[in-house]
Amino acid sequence: MAGRALYDTHAPRVYSLAYRLSGDAEKAREFTQDTFIRAFSRLSQFRGDAAFSTWLHRITVTVISNARRSEVRIAREVALDEASSIEMSAPEAEPDLKECIARAVEDLTEVYRTTLVMHDMEGYTHAEIAEILGVPEGTCKSRLSAARAQLRVALAAFKE
Amino acid sequence: MDEKRFEDLIRDLPQDFDVPEPPFEEMWRVIESAHFDATVSAQRSRGFARSVPWLAAAATLLIGIGIGRYLPPKSSSAPNAPAPAVAANETPLPADTSAVADAYRYQTSRYLGQAAALLISLPAKDANGKTDATFANKATDLLVTTRLLIDSPAAAQDPKLRSLLEDLELVLVQIARLRTERNRSDLDLIHQAVEQGDVLSRLNSAVATTQSSE
Repeated sequence: MAGRALYDTHAPRVYSLAYRLSGDAEKAREFTQDTFIRAFSRLSQFRGDAAFSTWLHRITVTVISNARRSEVRIAREVALDEASSIEMSAPEAEPDLKECIARAVEDLTEVYRTTLVMHDMEGYTHAEIAEILGVPEGTCKSRLSAARAQLRVALAAFKE
Repeated sequence: MDEKRFEDLIRDLPQDFDVPEPPFEEMWRVIESAHFDATVSAQRSRGFARSVPWLAAAATLLIGIGIGRYLPPKSSSAPNAPAPAVAANETPLPADTSAVADAYRYQTSRYLGQAAALLISLPAKDANGKTDATFANKATDLLVTTRLLIDSPAAAQDPKLRSLLEDLELVLVQIARLRTERNRSDLDLIHQAVEQGDVLSRLNSAVATTQSSE
């Protein structure tokens, strides 16, 4: 089946992007499935103006972005509900470098995190990221630069 | 943390955050059941007409013109001419319905022939950009007809034809992308999709079936 051939070709990269953007294997799996289900149901909207992979990865980023917004909204509602019952917790142990990086990446704003993950972890070029996110290449470069600067600041205090 | 250390850290990010091996087969089963069952597939096709109404309308117009050209002119017999005799136990099929069905068959047969010609003439190796563009443009044209035929009575009454049209849709989408990106593996992927779906032999069989019923 042609659909299976498309899946076999593109699923590894879509999953990898989903995993790195979400940081969670189960979520990455759901995002990958959602991406392909949406892609197959929207094939009629694919005009061949861009590469199929670009179109597919744009759907992936949108799926993840929508899910994160939904999570943030729910988290805010829960936080407001539980704000009065939170007690002071014991200070956490000093995290290792990997954990620090993960947290620093997680704390980046969505556009910075997406750009940094796509470029520095997934190896997309600026041109590819620009096309997927629908922004000029210059914007993509400045976002990466800003993301790295924030990461550097977040890791500056880390004691090796 | 000095600059050198930070640069090393950025360079090592892909290794430090390794991606686990996902259950690809299991994921495919979920995708397949969510999308490729008949009900969802039918909804998807109807969704196309809703999401791109102008395109559907344009394609309908094109096929309509084709059908119109194929239809025989209305009878010009004199008003006083006697009606043709009909056997007592035979319900006459309205002439227009029969003619429209014939016209659909003709259009489907013509389309299938064009699709087969495109797939057969697709080069085995990566061709030059101009050739890519020619194939991509032809595929884009056929894509519109494919999607319209998926929604047509011809496909509704023939699950085999519908399945073939859906596989053709995916193959044509891949050919259409040759216009903007030339990747050496693209053509291989298309040929692989055609082979895996046994698309050509099903196409030839469908062409033979529709031509014999004309």
